[in-house]
Amino acid sequence: MSLTTSEHESTDGGEHHHEYLPAVEGAENPGGEHESAGERDKKERLMIWLFIGGDLVILILEVFAWFYLRTLDSNGMWNAAKCTASANCVDGLGNPLIGPVAKASIWHPMIIMSLAIISALFVWAAESASRRKAAKSAVSGPALAALVFMIAAIVVQILQFQVLPFTTVDGGYASVYEFFMGSTLAHLLLMGFILTGLWTRAAKGRYQGGTFHRVRIMRMFGVWIAISTSVLAIVGGFFV
Amino acid sequence: MSFEQQFDAIENEITEEGDAPPFFSRPGGKIFIIWLVFTAIGVVIGVFAPHHLLPGLQSGTGSDVWATIVFFTVLAAPVAAFVYALAFYSLLAWRPKKSGSSDEPPPDGPPQRGNGPLTILWVGISTLLVIVLLVWGMTVWSSQQVAHDGALQVNVTGQQWLWTYEYPGTGVTSRTLELPQDRPVEFNVTALDVIHGFWLDTMGIQTDANPNENTVIRTTPTTLGGFVVRCSQLCGLNHAFMNNKGSVVTPTQFGNWLVSQGATTSAAAKSADVPESSLTPSSTSTTTAAPMNTGASQ
Amino acid sequence: MSIATAPLLLEDTPLGPKAGGLYRRQNALVGLIAGVVLAAIGWVISHALLQGSNWGSDMVVTVTLTCWVIGFNIGIGTFNAPFRWVVGKDSTREDELYGAGVGQGAARYWKYCTDHKVVGTQYFVLVMVLFAIGGTLAMMIRTQLITAHSSFLSPGTYNNIVTIHGMIMIIATIIMVSGPFANFILPIMIGAKDMAFPRLNAMSLWVVVSAVPPLLATFVLGGVDTGWTTYAPLSVQAPPAMDAFAICIITFAGVSVTVAGINTIVTVSTMRAKGMTMSRVPIFAWGSVVSAALGLYAMPAFLTAMSMMITDRATGTSFFVNQLGGAGWLWENVFWTMGHPEVYVILLPGTAALMEIASTFSRKPVFAYKAAVAAFVGIGSLAIMVWAHHMFTTGWAPNLATPFMLTTELISIPTGVIFLVLIGTIWKGSIWARLPMYFLYLFLWNFIIGGVTGIYLSDVPADQFFHGNMFTTAHFHYTLLGGAMIAATGAVCYWFPKMTGRMLNERIGKTAFWFIAIAFQVTYFGQFWEGFQGMPRRIAFYDPIFLRANQMSTIGAYFLMLGWMILLAAIIVSWRNGKIAPANPWHAKSLEWKVQTPVPLENFLVDPVVTSDPYTYGEGVPDGQNQPSAAPEPELVPAGASESTSGGGAS
Repeated sequence: MSLTTSEHESTDGGEHHHEYLPAVEGAENPGGEHESAGERDKKERLMIWLFIGGDLVILILEVFAWFYLRTLDSNGMWNAAKCTASANCVDGLGNPLIGPVAKASIWHPMIIMSLAIISALFVWAAESASRRKAAKSAVSGPALAALVFMIAAIVVQILQFQVLPFTTVDGGYASVYEFFMGSTLAHLLLMGFILTGLWTRAAKGRYQGGTFHRVRIMRMFGVWIAISTSVLAIVGGFFV
Repeated sequence: MSFEQQFDAIENEITEEGDAPPFFSRPGGKIFIIWLVFTAIGVVIGVFAPHHLLPGLQSGTGSDVWATIVFFTVLAAPVAAFVYALAFYSLLAWRPKKSGSSDEPPPDGPPQRGNGPLTILWVGISTLLVIVLLVWGMTVWSSQQVAHDGALQVNVTGQQWLWTYEYPGTGVTSRTLELPQDRPVEFNVTALDVIHGFWLDTMGIQTDANPNENTVIRTTPTTLGGFVVRCSQLCGLNHAFMNNKGSVVTPTQFGNWLVSQGATTSAAAKSADVPESSLTPSSTSTTTAAPMNTGASQ
Repeated sequence: MSIATAPLLLEDTPLGPKAGGLYRRQNALVGLIAGVVLAAIGWVISHALLQGSNWGSDMVVTVTLTCWVIGFNIGIGTFNAPFRWVVGKDSTREDELYGAGVGQGAARYWKYCTDHKVVGTQYFVLVMVLFAIGGTLAMMIRTQLITAHSSFLSPGTYNNIVTIHGMIMIIATIIMVSGPFANFILPIMIGAKDMAFPRLNAMSLWVVVSAVPPLLATFVLGGVDTGWTTYAPLSVQAPPAMDAFAICIITFAGVSVTVAGINTIVTVSTMRAKGMTMSRVPIFAWGSVVSAALGLYAMPAFLTAMSMMITDRATGTSFFVNQLGGAGWLWENVFWTMGHPEVYVILLPGTAALMEIASTFSRKPVFAYKAAVAAFVGIGSLAIMVWAHHMFTTGWAPNLATPFMLTTELISIPTGVIFLVLIGTIWKGSIWARLPMYFLYLFLWNFIIGGVTGIYLSDVPADQFFHGNMFTTAHFHYTLLGGAMIAATGAVCYWFPKMTGRMLNERIGKTAFWFIAIAFQVTYFGQFWEGFQGMPRRIAFYDPIFLRANQMSTIGAYFLMLGWMILLAAIIVSWRNGKIAPANPWHAKSLEWKVQTPVPLENFLVDPVVTSDPYTYGEGVPDGQNQPSAAPEPELVPAGASESTSGGGAS
């Protein structure tokens, strides 16, 4: 491999990038990484796309599990629709099961979905405020709102576990549905963590002056969370 | 002699065609010899190993296994041998002496960065081979899928760690698998607890026994004799002992065996597809209905 | 070349007494203690609340081992950065330098170190430890099988050993190239200062470390008697060891490999040196990227599968229980969605490393570079469409047998191209018969056999004989051990001088090679023999008709292990007091050989600028085709040095 010396740094010798860089006040991640926000953003955007890609595989497999078990209806136990009192069906604990298993309320997933979408929209608002170099509160305000909506979604999701009309042992539908809920909850919690960071950092003015890149990353992820939550909510709600 | 000189000497040996040396001392000839040797080894292994090592095959599907191995080996051996021939010839022809212990690299080789037509040829040939493999596989597989009318039904149930065979219509349930000769059989395979692998190695058929699912496999035993049914899917503690004996018998023997297992003569005759008169209505059948024990095959 | 004034190396930067913050107090020992403490707390709480309820012991094991994983990672420092980020206390440059190991000497190898070279070395050692454990288990399996009815192991223990041998080897082989070499070598190769996300890099390593103890805990939790494929419903009924197994997989596959894969892809995509176009990167980068991308598809599937497994076991769902509305076939589908791509995750980087070796030791450019890239991409895309060939005999969708037979056999086309590339590279080269080249030849030998035996298995009628049979075992050992792991061993021999600064002792190494090469054939020809005779896999006791074949395999296996131990001895001896390696012992042309050894922090004293690919061997000679610009090859010189006295002086 042919190497020539780097042109753009010939004026100050080879030590350019070994200089001790003092912290830059106000910038995202001051001084910690010695590269421009643009360079870092390029990496992080690719990272988040790849992460979403990996998460998409999980989502697809979850939905596959749903439709596969629903179609297969192994032993008539998708939702025990054929389990009458005389059919001697038993659930996972060996107790008699008379079907069909009650459907989960459609409202919880719909509310969670709406909250996740609203939360994502607020992150979007925070991003555009950061992009147009608006005042600090124009970024931190929507960030706080997004966080609040996300927490609300988490609360509703936890609440849904309390009021489900079935338990995990009640066959295929119950199993996959609860898995969807768990998966949604995990995603919402992750997003809640990220939004907490968005809010505290926005409040510290880290996203002022055009340093919107990280907010954009969070918006991308927030939109993905809204999408995946919606997919699970719709599949779980309307394709019993 | 420096590496450079050695290399030149080698180069000359390869490229100098002035005197047109005999074929077998030219590079192409040497490669051909190595190729021939490896091909021969491959073909010999491919033809004789299955012949000597496979258990005695007892059905058309079993012979398919043998035929596939032989055919694929004969097809693949020249290809594999070609790669070996090139690799070994390179090693013999272009390795400067003592290069293994030298800290200095030999001189650079020619900067060939690729050869479009060769690559296309290589891909073309492998595509062709793949098509041949596929056509073979599809033909054989579809021939195995054909359902025969009037096939003998056997319900196979796996559980930890034994097999149970039920012959519908006769009321016979057994721990050994008796099959009539030259009669198509359909196995309806299922399991009670976990997944087991129902594997008739001498007949070249295998399927998993899945709980709550029924899987059908077919074969037509053609050769009389015993065989062992082995579980091919790890199924827990005593997986290694989950095997039992079976045998292919004549239809009359089969009918008699069914009778000895408690079937009525008429049901047995119907199931075995033999005239009722040919069966002896006693339990003194000629074939053994050895009681199942988990280590039967040992 | 000489540098007029020695530049200030980054690792000599003086740091303040508080640099690094919490990292100053964290190391592997703290991680161990934190893990054990949190696991103990988790056990006490979960035991008090859950034991005795339905699936109580499964929940207790799950909670306890999850606590271990989290505790270890708290102790080692995985969570420091996220929490500093969320409260807005960003690390300073000084913290970053501390994190990269500045001023910690050898202690940095026991810490959450972000320097990619430290991570690569840690991975290297970890892989050897895992292979030692997995190899020991393999020896126990072979010892059990030396007679038909050995009483060496009980069936339960045997089954668990089969499972853990399989899984630990899968883990080790997944990280054996992408761990040490894609971390240590790859960034230097492409002219980067580090991986794209150094902290995620350290995380990927320490998460694997935290995932291994749960796997070994299976031995005291009742054992996983299912094989590493953990087919349901057997695995749903297995002892609580299965929960530990699942925790290990979720941690390893779901977190470590995914994160490492993202890191590799982003590094190669965005951090290449000036002029390093994607057609100029060393082919190893392509292999690593395709492998990482494939891992990014496969490992989330493993995460999903194992999460469902845990909910089935510890909360009573019924994904995989047919009687309760689930399906064992669902497990098989989701598992093999991971399982087949994973094979190529293992294989591709090793093969790519062999292409580097072929080029360097034949003194020729990589033959048909673009075809090699196309082959990697082709294998990568076909690999996600072949999973059901593991399910030909399961009864699932017999109608799909033909399409999957097609995709499976199609893979042999790009695989054939890989052979073309390797052979074409060697062809007419001048072979420098050093140790890496030995392993290249062994790879060619083994992988052909692995490939040819694979076509029997890809054919449904023949697969009905060979599935679940020792023939299959021999086949995939030919591809994964004889192919991928031999390739990785070649890579070890090739990059050892750069990674350790010392030359590998080739006299011992070549002795090891011959043991490995010959004993390997004996071991697995024995298993082909068993397979032809009809011996099922994973059985602890067998019909005496298989005796001869098993004895052949066992004796071969002992010598094979001996060979690996000799190689390990060569590595240890050479690492401790081998000959000091020059910066470029192989006179190779890729960037990792152009930096000094030991490689300084952030690798390059000047940013490299690349004007051609690293395979310009012999290109001073006109060739007639593909003639690149025959640029002279200046040594790597700091920018300041070329202007002699002007300005280059660091104080």
